[in-house]
Amino acid sequence: MLDSLVTATLYLADGVTLMYLMLGVLVGLLFGIIPGLGGATAIALLLPLTFGMEPEQAITLMGGIMGSSAIGGSVTAILLNAPGTAPNAATCFDGYPLTRQGKAGLAIGAAATASSLGGIVGVIVLVAILPMAKSLVLLFGPPAFFMLAVLGLVSLTISNNNMLRGLIAAALGLFIGFVGYDDMGGTLRFTAGIDYLWDGIKLVPALIGLFAIAEMIRLMVEGGAISKVDRNELGEVKGVGAGFKAVFKHPRTVLSGSFIGTLVGIVPGVGGTVASFLSYSFTVQSSRDSSQFGKGDIRGVIAPEAANNAKDGGSLIPTLAFGIPGSAEMALFLGVLVLHGMQPGPLLLIEREWSLLVLIIALLLATIASACVIAVATKYLIKITFVDSSILIPTVLSVALVGAYALEGSLGDVIMAAVFGVIGYVMIRLDYPRITLVIAIVLGGMMERNFIQSMLMFRSDWTGFFRDTTSLVIFTIIVMALALPVLGRIRRRVRNANV
Amino acid sequence: MKIKTALLSAVAGIALMSGAQADVDPSDTVSIVVPYGPGGGFDRAVRGFAPYFSEALGGANVITENIPGAGGQRGSTEVSRSEPDGLTLGIFNLPGFALPAILGEEVGYDLRELSWIGRLESDDYVLIVAADSEIQTLDDLIAIDDLIITSTGYGSTVLAALQITASELGLAENDPIYLSGYGGTTDAIVGLIRGDGQVSMAPVSSVTPYLESGDVRALAMSGNQSLFEGVPTFAEAGYPGLTPLNLQRSIAGPPGIDDATLTQLRSAFMDVVQNEEYLEYAKSIGMNMSPMNGADTAADISSSFEFYERFSTSLENPN
Repeated sequence: MLDSLVTATLYLADGVTLMYLMLGVLVGLLFGIIPGLGGATAIALLLPLTFGMEPEQAITLMGGIMGSSAIGGSVTAILLNAPGTAPNAATCFDGYPLTRQGKAGLAIGAAATASSLGGIVGVIVLVAILPMAKSLVLLFGPPAFFMLAVLGLVSLTISNNNMLRGLIAAALGLFIGFVGYDDMGGTLRFTAGIDYLWDGIKLVPALIGLFAIAEMIRLMVEGGAISKVDRNELGEVKGVGAGFKAVFKHPRTVLSGSFIGTLVGIVPGVGGTVASFLSYSFTVQSSRDSSQFGKGDIRGVIAPEAANNAKDGGSLIPTLAFGIPGSAEMALFLGVLVLHGMQPGPLLLIEREWSLLVLIIALLLATIASACVIAVATKYLIKITFVDSSILIPTVLSVALVGAYALEGSLGDVIMAAVFGVIGYVMIRLDYPRITLVIAIVLGGMMERNFIQSMLMFRSDWTGFFRDTTSLVIFTIIVMALALPVLGRIRRRVRNANV
Repeated sequence: MKIKTALLSAVAGIALMSGAQADVDPSDTVSIVVPYGPGGGFDRAVRGFAPYFSEALGGANVITENIPGAGGQRGSTEVSRSEPDGLTLGIFNLPGFALPAILGEEVGYDLRELSWIGRLESDDYVLIVAADSEIQTLDDLIAIDDLIITSTGYGSTVLAALQITASELGLAENDPIYLSGYGGTTDAIVGLIRGDGQVSMAPVSSVTPYLESGDVRALAMSGNQSLFEGVPTFAEAGYPGLTPLNLQRSIAGPPGIDDATLTQLRSAFMDVVQNEEYLEYAKSIGMNMSPMNGADTAADISSSFEFYERFSTSLENPN
């Protein structure tokens, strides 16, 4: 291990390799910032260019992208309420209200710092559990996946202020998740004869619509600029340093976010969107004073950002140990590995230890480098929020729609983004939670598939869910998540009665 | 005399012009469509092939075009409906792209009509169990009456291979449970290792890392020759009907490419697959090369199509 570590460090200390890393960081940031484009698109575009590179150079470039795109995505989530990548959606909750109060610098500083710390924790955990990676992945069978999806949906609904609206949004999301070809039943569902819908409703166009486009529609109706604070009052842009300090004032939030991110990352197919959301809702529920969440509590920025960078470390485990990608980004990264003659699988960890360490160190450096770039650039980025809507709206709309098109070169995706833009605006007006809808779309398919698989395995005996250890453990967490708020309320009532 | 010369040169000019239209020029751009996104096995195969193909075509620009969507049907339909000028080609797999038609779906292409340029890869299928499984032989497997089979979803090649195998081995009578719906071949293998089911199947290239690491054990494999020590072919185990079962990746253009262009493309293809440098490179990126020329590929596609068609009743959705 130590030998490989030295080899890997020396390799990365080389000028050319460092250049590849910085290139990856800059591309990752740029693609992260533009709504709809993300790490996955960046990797897809650069993949053919890695053809002539050494395998480790290609890995370094990709490490740079993976380590930076999530940080880039937080910038637009905070400034425009339009998450650059799906996992940044939870950052909007408190990041955007902070911007409207003129505290965008604070939020971005905190997001960048929390991302870096999360990334570091994720990588440390990755290195620590890499030797046990195989047995860890084997813990999660269909019953455990089903329970995990249920846990996601439960924590989603209970963390909403209005549970009924949360449930309605979740139900709508599950319904949208049904659309498309169901390869277990072998039937097409709700496709209305449209070929485009064969693959189901894709997450990225839906996300571009629900957030970026919906937000621009709202701005169009309201007029003015995003920041409601007078530009002259703000004076010098401050707050990035304060954001940095704020993160260190909440070490518990950073740590819990990082661990939730890493753990969720390990489970293939769940991904950063769920990780950052679970981290956010955990922080809300475990805070003594949760009255400011959703109105600009800095912890609401720290928790999801720590989680979504920590998940990269986690999600590399199933990707490397078994060749099962946890997300679209990881699936593409898998392609890069195979292209360079590295067959992911149980043997990769042993045979190519030093190459993997190159990746791990590259990830680490990329998170830190991108946080620094963002911290320096914040001063200029914040100006976006003072731009008048007549300039901002057409710019963001065209970037968002081009992003939707660039994904697969499909006009259907553009139409879908526009449709979801309207849905998103209606949801804003009626005060329905958009993020609940998004997560339900992500989890719906996984929940259904794993439920059917489990029931087949158990030969239709549902008690099997409680005989599978992992599934039972997750079930216990669900019960606790449901019981704790109720117990807290009862205790308060008893105390009040005694007084 | 002058008129004759002028006429002759005009005729020659026209001949040259039409010749230029029929053939692929070094100044042309040939795109090879991958019906999936970048990064997968198809993409890898085409990206590795393209630069060598470009060289063999005298320097024509050869680009890889990803047209994902509708489980590969969008890209393949686009190739099939493109102009038959030899400038749009695509990569197809069998049985993958034959299945929808055999299962009675409407598809925008007919594999048997395409202009086949040549076959790149061919992978035999391996029937596998977890390393610690009690099942040692095909007979042990056949004796089990409550079998669970891990597999990818309906319409996938792995499920079709499993259903055909089950039908030939007589497993179908025991009414096994198909635990289909795994996201990919590897997921189904990992499900098998975890103990979700007792048996599964995968192409050689996917299963090799797990055989080498000792996580799974092979019971038998398709094809004429076994690639693993101590593992019989299906024919050796007494089931010759399963020998033709395999997964092929081949390059083809739309129906109706004229003979001159087709000959040019086919010979360029053969130049590539006989190039030692390419073969070495293909091996390094994990391709299971098994080249075949265009004419043979076309014949093989037809006979394979018939093979799968014969089993069409066994290929219904098990769930």
